[in-house]
Amino acid sequence: MTTKPQAARAARFVLAGWTRPRPGHWVRPLAFMAPALIGFAVFFAYPLGALVYYSFTRYDLLNTPVWVGLRNYAFLVAQDPLARKAAYNTVWLVVVITVLRLIFATGVAAVLARIRNGAGLFRTLIYLPALAPPVAATLVFTFLFNPGTGPVNTVLSWFGIQGPLWFSDPAWAKPGLTLLTLWVSGELIIILLAGMLDVPGELYEAAGLDGAGSLRRFWHITLPSIAPVLVFGVINSIILGLQYFTQAVVAASVASGSADIAGSQRVIGYPDNSTLTFPVWLYQQGFHYYNMGYASAMSIVLFAVSTVFTLLFVHRLRRGAHAEGMA
Amino acid sequence: MRRIGVATACLALALIAGGCGAVTSSSGTADAPAANEKVSLSVWSKFSGRELGLLQKALDGFHVKHPNITVDNRGSQDDDKVAQAIRGGNPPDVAISFSTDNIGQFCSSGAWQDLKPYITRDKLDLNQLPAATRTYTEFKGARCAMPLLADVYGLYYNKAMFAKAGISTPPKTMSELFEYAKKLTVFNPDGSIKVAGFVPTIGFYSNHVQMWAANWGVQWKGQDGKSALGTDPQWQAMLEWAKKFTDFYGRDKLAKFTAGLGQEYSPDHAFEKGQIAMAMDGEYRTAFIAAEAPDLDYATAPFPVADNKPELYGGGYTTGTIIGVPKGAKNPGAAWELVKYLSTDTAALQGLAQGLKNVPSTVPALQDPTLQQDEHFKTFLEIFASPNLATNPASSNGGAYIKTAEDFATAYQGGSVPDLKAGLTKAAAQIDADAQLGG
Amino acid sequence: MAALTTSGTTTRGPRRRGVLRWIATHSIALAIGVMFVLPLVFVALTAFMSDRQALTADLWPRSWHPENFAEVFRTAPLLKYLGNSVMYSLLATAGMLVSSVPAAYALARMRWRGREVAFLVVIAAMMIPPQVLAVPLYVLWARLHLTGTLWPLILPYFLVDAFSIFLLRQFFLTIPQSYLDAARVDGCGDLRTLLRVLLPMTRPGIAAVSLFCFMYTWNDYFGPLLYAGENPDNWTLSLALASFRGAHQVQWNLTMAATVVVMLPVILLFVFAQKSFVRGITFTGVKG
Repeated sequence: MTTKPQAARAARFVLAGWTRPRPGHWVRPLAFMAPALIGFAVFFAYPLGALVYYSFTRYDLLNTPVWVGLRNYAFLVAQDPLARKAAYNTVWLVVVITVLRLIFATGVAAVLARIRNGAGLFRTLIYLPALAPPVAATLVFTFLFNPGTGPVNTVLSWFGIQGPLWFSDPAWAKPGLTLLTLWVSGELIIILLAGMLDVPGELYEAAGLDGAGSLRRFWHITLPSIAPVLVFGVINSIILGLQYFTQAVVAASVASGSADIAGSQRVIGYPDNSTLTFPVWLYQQGFHYYNMGYASAMSIVLFAVSTVFTLLFVHRLRRGAHAEGMA
Repeated sequence: MRRIGVATACLALALIAGGCGAVTSSSGTADAPAANEKVSLSVWSKFSGRELGLLQKALDGFHVKHPNITVDNRGSQDDDKVAQAIRGGNPPDVAISFSTDNIGQFCSSGAWQDLKPYITRDKLDLNQLPAATRTYTEFKGARCAMPLLADVYGLYYNKAMFAKAGISTPPKTMSELFEYAKKLTVFNPDGSIKVAGFVPTIGFYSNHVQMWAANWGVQWKGQDGKSALGTDPQWQAMLEWAKKFTDFYGRDKLAKFTAGLGQEYSPDHAFEKGQIAMAMDGEYRTAFIAAEAPDLDYATAPFPVADNKPELYGGGYTTGTIIGVPKGAKNPGAAWELVKYLSTDTAALQGLAQGLKNVPSTVPALQDPTLQQDEHFKTFLEIFASPNLATNPASSNGGAYIKTAEDFATAYQGGSVPDLKAGLTKAAAQIDADAQLGG
Repeated sequence: MAALTTSGTTTRGPRRRGVLRWIATHSIALAIGVMFVLPLVFVALTAFMSDRQALTADLWPRSWHPENFAEVFRTAPLLKYLGNSVMYSLLATAGMLVSSVPAAYALARMRWRGREVAFLVVIAAMMIPPQVLAVPLYVLWARLHLTGTLWPLILPYFLVDAFSIFLLRQFFLTIPQSYLDAARVDGCGDLRTLLRVLLPMTRPGIAAVSLFCFMYTWNDYFGPLLYAGENPDNWTLSLALASFRGAHQVQWNLTMAATVVVMLPVILLFVFAQKSFVRGITFTGVKG
């Protein structure tokens, strides 16, 4: 059973707070929030301010920052093709991962929702890869998709299919990363599944009486009912794509076959900078080249983009709150 | 609730510790510790396993000379980690770097201290260092490192395979290398590569643009100090050769082949396993082969050179292991004593060189009968002595320009660059622009 | 069942069709499940291969080498990394609970001016990619001489963790106001309402948030790479695993054995806490 009236009340609650201020009630919230407020000041507000300042300087962490005005931004816009490539890679991942992840997760969840026996087992099986640390999952994938000796191409060759070079081919590295991301999307699947199972049976029965087919039931009842969860999935996937780092760094390092430590500047972006995401290039500029001012300017750009999605998210959240369903 | 207490204590401790950081010596020299003063030094290097043990032996020799100084020898620390530790304020006393790529950055930013005051104070004779090694340990007048052994690159070839293919001498030009490679390559029935004559993939094992560049006589910088990628025709020649070579095998076939080969420093190295007939590699490979594939029938020679520059034959690429004292080192005086010992003590250098199979980096230490005896190794001593020995220029933004060049070379080799000349010009402009950002 | 009549074939009884449907959906689900698990099976098999065989395309070990696992521990100080990972994850989770529960309560269940702004800040902090603030935070911790350790990652949890605050707030919102009103009528203050009413009622949620926090820190790679990368004494398992193949020059068999070793604790934790895990996630999806 859903708790719609409660959700509506909760929604009102979210937005009601500031409309009816009660001056006497200031001290206790502050006491409850105190550690968090200090935390936000030290680990959020201060660094953000510092970031803005550094972005106008040349700073190598050894000598004092030198003011250079807008030079870092100018360089970023006009003179750094790798930053453009990195931005392209990140946008690619954001779009493809968000779309495929939602379709895939919804599809799998829809199948699982019909399971009568052994649902727990299936849920565990599907969730298992999501548990693996990203580093481990990436190693697993670079091994599976190793063009020379990996099982994937071996199996493909049984069917006469010449498998691609995957993480060694600039054209296939990002699709490889996408497959990896789908493989570990168990969490989203579980959440969607829970949402589907929670759609009240009466709704289906009502639709059933109207003679709705299986697919139509899914389209007209299941999907709208889990819309808030889907929105959560979209936002979640976009965040995931925007900060794509670990898998890209580890895949590049392993596939290059280099003896360098993962994340070392020699192997980042392999092959042909196709796995060079925006955060990876930012990291490289800041912590390998020690162009910390420039890395700060890149951070500001990443921050601006993620803020757009934050606002979208907040907007949805409030609209959802008004429309009585909480995302 | 106890956890909170612990954490608060930690935070408090941490903040206090932050207040009292290491004392950094900014300029001038710090005295060596008095003989009765107990000092401990930390040394970071990228050595590991057997090689780390060899360094330990040299450090033990230092400890015998300076019983009051104990040395903590930590391996597996690459440049990234050392640089980060320096910037983070927790540097080792002595840092050893495997490459000279970052020397410009180390010197110009002050991340590694200028050793000149110490050299002047101790009246150390720098002429005992060969000229090439002197160049790659300083940048724009700042000597922030000393050479500690050198690496020299040459050709390794499998004699048994040469005999089978009816080839008697190693290739001397790049065209010969290509021709021989075609003859030496063996394909499987399904068309995949079984044995590759030579793997031309840039980025594979020791194939890096800066190493090939030495044998192609390629210029990195023009007279005006700007990148010469777009102006020196040798660049074009080198990359066209590499592309043609790749296309001979087929890019995909080659990639599949290399993806299945063993790691560069493992006993499954493809040359040691007889999966490739010729390879560019450093002199240290002789030690790996002796330990891991003693039955391998191979020989060494200078790496072939560009067809239009036969006079370069006999030379090659060199880079070196370098040693220095990071900014913020806790015991710079004692650290200098160790740097001086490791980089100029003949016995220490020869001991290391024999064990690591590296080229010793002082003139007196070169005259090592043990090293001269090994015919495989002798080749590299000769390349090192050649006037055509070359290295890549230092720059203040480290290996960024090499990455740009190598990225471009890889892209071209992979077939994603339609216009080579225009691409090179663009890469050159990029290198110049990048150089502006950092300094 | 009524919906089935629209599917076309009407001659067979609904019962028989039900069986067919059961078989169809369950075999699809089985195929999906196998697809998800098969990679892990390959990994486990490779972990038992000889290093020569790991260089081939074989799928099944010709001979079994359980000693690979012992070899992995000899090759790298995995126990030390394990200790570091445990310390990081446990301390961070403990810190998160102490700091985030009261904050989430204030955001969910107290009325005060500026609450919405505070909530927006939480969301903004939650959504910000960790790389954005890496430079200024690194500079900050470098000034405190704490880089090279895991403390820059652990200490902030004792003050704030935006994601946990957000999730906890969502959990707290699901408790009907009537319970809180009742508590207030009984004379409970905010602290007692939180401790006596809200916490017991949201225990699955608290467990889920704790598990998320534990998993996030356990799996974290960027944080340890940034702060502990320079000092292998403070490496976590994730960080060490990323360089395992390159740094130790090993073949895939040992790499995969190490991967199994790193994954095992998380999987055990899941098996152990599966109920509150799934219940927690379910909670998020339905009502959160």
